[in-house]
Amino acid sequence: MPNTVKIYIDDKEYEVPAGKNLVDVAKFYADNDIPVFCYHPKMNPVGMCRMCLVEMGSIEKDRATGEVVLDPAGKPKIRWFPKLQTACTTTVSDGLVIRTGTSQVEEARENVVEFLLTSHPLDCPICDKGGECPLQNLTMAYGPGTSRMNFEDKIDLDKHVPLGDLIYLDEERCIQCARCIRFQDEVVGDPVLAFHERGRSLQIITVSEPGFDSYFSGNTTDICPVGALTTEDFRFGARPWELTNIPSIDPWDAAGSNITLCVRLERDFGGKAAIKRVMPRQNELVNEIWISDKARWGHHFTRAEDRLQHPVVAGHNVTWPNALTVASDKIKAAGSDVAAIAGPQMSNEDLWSLRQLLAGVGSERLGAWPPTHAGADLLAQVGVGSGTNLGTLGKGDAVLVIGSDLEEEVPIWRLRVKRAHDHGAYLVVANARPTRLDQFGDECMQYGVGEAAEFMAELVKTPVGKQLAEAENLVIIAGAEGMTLDGSRALMQAAANFLISTGHVGKANNGLLSTLPGANGMGLHYMGFTPETTLDITQNPPKVLIIAQADVMADDPDAQEWLSRVETIITFGLFPDGASERAAVSLPIQSFAERDGTFTNGERRVQRFYTAQGPMGEALPAWQAVQRLGAVLGQGQAKPSAAAVMLEITQNVPGWEGCRFSQLAKVEKQFPDVGGHDLYYGGTAYKNFGGLGVQIASAAEQGKVSEGKVTSPKAAKAKILALPVTRLYNRERVLRASEADVLGPRIAQPFVEINSADAKKLGIKTGDTVDVKMGSAPALRARAHVDGIAPVGTVVVPRHLSDTAAPLAPAAVEISKVEG
Amino acid sequence: MAMATRILLRELDTPNIHKMDVYMKNDGYEGLKKAIGMKPAEVIDEVKASNLRGRGGAGFPTGVKWSFIPQTEPVKYVVVNADESETGTFKDRQIMENNPHQLIEGAMIAAWAIQATAVYIYLRGEYWDVAAGLDKCIAEAEKKGFVGKNVLKSGWDCPMYTHLGAGAYICGEESALLESLEGKLGQPRVRPPFPAQKGGGLYAEPTVVNNVETLANVPWIMVNGAAEYKKFGTEQSPGTKVFCLSGHVKKPGNYEAPLGSLTLRQLIFDEEYGGGVPGDKKVKAVLPSGGSGPIIPATDEALDMPLTYEDMQKLGTILGSASIIVMDEDTDIAWVAAKVTKFFKHESCGKCTPCREGTYWLDKVLDRIMADQARESDIDLIANIAKNMQGVTLCALGDFAANPIIHTVKNFPDDFKRHVGETAVTAGGSARRGAAAPAGD
Amino acid sequence: MLADKYADRIETAFAKYPTKRSAVMPLLYIAQEEYGWLSPEAIEEVASLCDLDPTQVRSIAGFYTMYRERPKGKYWLQVCTDLACALKGADEFYEQLLEELGLDHENDTTEDGTFTVEHVMCLGACDRAPMLQCNFHFDPKYDRLDMEKARKLIEEWRSEAKKK
Ligand SMILES: Cc1cc2nc3c(=O)[nH]c(=O)nc-3n(C[C@H](O)[C@H](O)[C@H](O)COP(=O)(O)O)c2cc1C
Ligand code: SF4
Ligand code: FES
Repeated sequence: MPNTVKIYIDDKEYEVPAGKNLVDVAKFYADNDIPVFCYHPKMNPVGMCRMCLVEMGSIEKDRATGEVVLDPAGKPKIRWFPKLQTACTTTVSDGLVIRTGTSQVEEARENVVEFLLTSHPLDCPICDKGGECPLQNLTMAYGPGTSRMNFEDKIDLDKHVPLGDLIYLDEERCIQCARCIRFQDEVVGDPVLAFHERGRSLQIITVSEPGFDSYFSGNTTDICPVGALTTEDFRFGARPWELTNIPSIDPWDAAGSNITLCVRLERDFGGKAAIKRVMPRQNELVNEIWISDKARWGHHFTRAEDRLQHPVVAGHNVTWPNALTVASDKIKAAGSDVAAIAGPQMSNEDLWSLRQLLAGVGSERLGAWPPTHAGADLLAQVGVGSGTNLGTLGKGDAVLVIGSDLEEEVPIWRLRVKRAHDHGAYLVVANARPTRLDQFGDECMQYGVGEAAEFMAELVKTPVGKQLAEAENLVIIAGAEGMTLDGSRALMQAAANFLISTGHVGKANNGLLSTLPGANGMGLHYMGFTPETTLDITQNPPKVLIIAQADVMADDPDAQEWLSRVETIITFGLFPDGASERAAVSLPIQSFAERDGTFTNGERRVQRFYTAQGPMGEALPAWQAVQRLGAVLGQGQAKPSAAAVMLEITQNVPGWEGCRFSQLAKVEKQFPDVGGHDLYYGGTAYKNFGGLGVQIASAAEQGKVSEGKVTSPKAAKAKILALPVTRLYNRERVLRASEADVLGPRIAQPFVEINSADAKKLGIKTGDTVDVKMGSAPALRARAHVDGIAPVGTVVVPRHLSDTAAPLAPAAVEISKVEG
Repeated sequence: MAMATRILLRELDTPNIHKMDVYMKNDGYEGLKKAIGMKPAEVIDEVKASNLRGRGGAGFPTGVKWSFIPQTEPVKYVVVNADESETGTFKDRQIMENNPHQLIEGAMIAAWAIQATAVYIYLRGEYWDVAAGLDKCIAEAEKKGFVGKNVLKSGWDCPMYTHLGAGAYICGEESALLESLEGKLGQPRVRPPFPAQKGGGLYAEPTVVNNVETLANVPWIMVNGAAEYKKFGTEQSPGTKVFCLSGHVKKPGNYEAPLGSLTLRQLIFDEEYGGGVPGDKKVKAVLPSGGSGPIIPATDEALDMPLTYEDMQKLGTILGSASIIVMDEDTDIAWVAAKVTKFFKHESCGKCTPCREGTYWLDKVLDRIMADQARESDIDLIANIAKNMQGVTLCALGDFAANPIIHTVKNFPDDFKRHVGETAVTAGGSARRGAAAPAGD
Repeated sequence: MLADKYADRIETAFAKYPTKRSAVMPLLYIAQEEYGWLSPEAIEEVASLCDLDPTQVRSIAGFYTMYRERPKGKYWLQVCTDLACALKGADEFYEQLLEELGLDHENDTTEDGTFTVEHVMCLGACDRAPMLQCNFHFDPKYDRLDMEKARKLIEEWRSEAKKK
């Protein structure tokens, strides 16, 4: 091992990596759980709780010779600290000696637990954390058997303090470890939690508006070592020991966060297994142990009552055979004039099956939805190298985020980029408008709307570009905000060229990422679905169009027009929507929670999710529904399982050889070890038992790649240009079901941002209702928000806040104030 | 007996020494001029040679502390600890009110010695008026070129600023003080890195933190030399010291004397010092270092012990900041324990479990004891709680809070026993000093 | 708005430190002086001046006892009842002072908003016990107190308050 040190734990020698934290090292290498409350391996140690005290010393060395000094017995002489030391604030160094099992240490642990329990309410029987509570566990392990504190001396505090709508604080249970405060400050960079008062009166407060305003707030409930922080969603929902933990993947974005669906058989759900909560699952390369609040609380759509539960033909529920016969007749009649548009929530198996179906009738028209982000092919070439871990970027490295509002699009990447910045990476943020990431940028640059590619191409000549070019490792995250599909391709190509020309491809921690929408944007690419084909389909509609998990009407104001030119629509979907209403056949499919399969994340990691929840009605996994349709069309029997479909993929798609389900399920011990069934880290669901996934090698890792030509489209000219942007919480069909539940209060009312200068000309003030009208499509009505932030000549239109679709790409619009 | 030369409380010998002109006429700023004529390392060596020990409580050798500062770092700070919040301590106030320029000069010498970028004087919030006075003096010194840009034409810039705390004893602890100065909660930091190291000081830059009295000694040392300085005091405790005398004495106040030249008895009873106990009562106990140090019974051995760092250790206590609180024979020491515990409960920053929970718990049990509602075992309980708080916290406040219990129970067990079991007097019956302290915090 | 009314003092505060955050304590004093106490709005204002989250500023206000998060009287009397002063009868003095003004431990502010009486820890004037501080100012008039002296002071403050 390079760069290792020798340390001694309870008289045994260990060779361990230098520079690591003693608590983490002891746990990982010596299987020694030094108990902690305030320490958390993902945050800086603060040495507050005093639980981790150990006897500590170092092997004495002769100053002059560097030789180890021996005692009379011939053993190395140890210089002990006179007092116990906190392990959590210690970095391992050569010759470090600790003892953890001595009576002195045991007494110190017992004392700390006793002190903590003096003011703890001991209401475990009604506490959400009971059963997976570090305080409970450590009390069992080290605590005193009885209490010497008079019960009436206990401090009485408020037990139901809402920190906003999503998280509750029980002040009596809080042990003042500051983990939640430090998480918001260090990890998130939104210091909306803090201590108030001091001494025994120390309490957690927030005065942010709305309360505890953060996209990551739920993580605080995982790392809280007691039941002081609980979620509105899970509070009193179930006892941890009743739950079965099923590994899954965050279905919302390109990060592919590893999650755990904790399910229980529910009477209210027909006795079927239902998700009670969603927890993070450790994958150091992907999301470490963090998830966004959307991943945690957005699961309610899977059990929404208005889910499509039966096949529908001409407005009537029918049986599957009936529906499939109708669909197959339509397809047969169309010959090869069939096309498909698939959304990024479709699994790799679903997409492969769809591709086979079309191949069976002689069509290759596979469109990816939404057609906003181009260049997935470039990601396959120069995407981040295998083994990339954004969490390890630091001093000497650089990250460029361009054309994206990263916090809204891929929150976990935003979190990890912020950490990289904290660790010393040079962070450059460029966009046509300011975003929240700017506060962490070493350099924040703005370019004109539609000029991202030119900006990228010119960047290399600037000092900032030079610094990026000279970084040890460089990752570029490119979005498509404010771009047409062509514009997005141009930016991706320019970014790829930058990386290739500066030697930042084909190796770990280098390369390109894109905020492709949905969980499986890369899967769409590998299975042959492209956004360019989608545009072709919309311009040259086929006789039969299959729309799979794509809410085209809600996403595209022109959809009504181009759909009207399709003869037959067949939909596969979770909900009735604008397209299914127009469909000849509408087929119900299962959500990610009800079946198994794989998604390919933005870093090209193929990851498995497993069946967790009971099915809704007659919905089928999409791959199965598609293959049954294929069978009716005479294309051969449906495969027996998703695993079998993947096996076929591994045999047919280059680069996917290693992706058999058994491979994807492999796990290995990760450092730091936060997920074990240990006594203290909490969140039993951190353990990764579902698989770490397999990263598909980029082309650059296998051979040379070369720069391509950047063809920038002409910037659109318009008096006012609508600039569609993505918001994490919105009224997308799938999220809307959760609106009624926890996330509802966080979804903004429809609004548009207008630059103060434009607003003045148009006579619009903040709070006015305005209509944003584009061509013949119905106007989008929203509240105006006048600011100095929206680029001049644009109106920033968040997607999916109003029932009317925002344009897919920047488009000329007219704005008018709605009187009255 | 009388001290001809006072180093710190010079207003007693030279009226109006707080005025710039008077100060200048009496060797004022000569020390700084001399220092700036020397290499910084030579200044440090001189202070080292004087063996001046920190007057903030810990008695750490000042020159040694300065020598820890890595000279290669471009940004460095001197922070003057004027938080003075220990119960029974009021010496820094007097120095800053009556001899402010000497502090300013001392701080500037320290700043030169480490080539500091700036000096901050952190005053406890209650010293609002003192800070205003200092601000004026700093402005005067700046005009004269002793502070600020191009100090004494040396080409070295070093501004000086005052900063007011806002009511937190813990901000006297140096790392909490630095946190507070950075605009954060005054909670102590994990060490290492220490303030003198990169990463550990103010704004993460190497920083010297010294007490007001410590620095006020430095000009004298520069002017007269380390050898002269060492003529005062003892080998291990050179120099003079200001003793803050309070409690049951006829003439409470600050008294300066060479270390070792006075015994407790002299300080309490001599006419030129405390002048004895009101009502000519006997002394029962003494707290030589405010509320935080161990209490000692006023035995003859104790009363005749010279006041030095090393001699106080022989008595099982410390000289610390020399905040000497005297208690007469009628004082109920259990009440003293309860009173001091209230202080620490109020002042615990809350960061460490044993300190935060322990002070709260002790206070609860002591309330019970003082209300004569306790059991005999409660005395063992508080002793044990206090023991469990010792030596396991981030900063010394945990130990400070344990001391009053451990040493009162050990040295004055009968005072506690009177409150428990069969012999308990009725609640609140122990006269004026036995009345329960105001409730609340 | 503090930013306008106290522009000079705010600027002086900022000029002292390399970070804006360090000025939070001086600015809180200014806000307290202006509004009498640190209302949520005052906290909000200081936060935006120092580029901090209001939660962080509230946290500072809560940690330090000289910041008050509820309204107080025009004359904020802080009586030291710490050990050295208590040995000189400060506890009794504090209780008498409360009684004199019709206050108790919970209700520390007179109804007419003239006085707030608090007991505090050591004020560094133990040789002059019992003593108090008024609106953070210490004056020889406020030391070695008894109720007779205190009543005189109260009278003075009362009539001063009426004049204003
Ligand atoms: C809880 C606590 C409170 C302290 N309060 C003060 C204080 O008010 N004034 C002071 O000078 N030192 C105080 N100290 C000591 C300082 O931490 C530090 O040792 C001192 O300022 C160093 O200065 P010196 O070397 O000049 O003594 C305190 C220490 C602790 C642990
Ligand atoms: S010992 Fe007490 S005052 Fe010191 S850091 Fe710990 S909690 Fe804070
Ligand atoms: S002090 Fe080390 S874990 Fe809390």
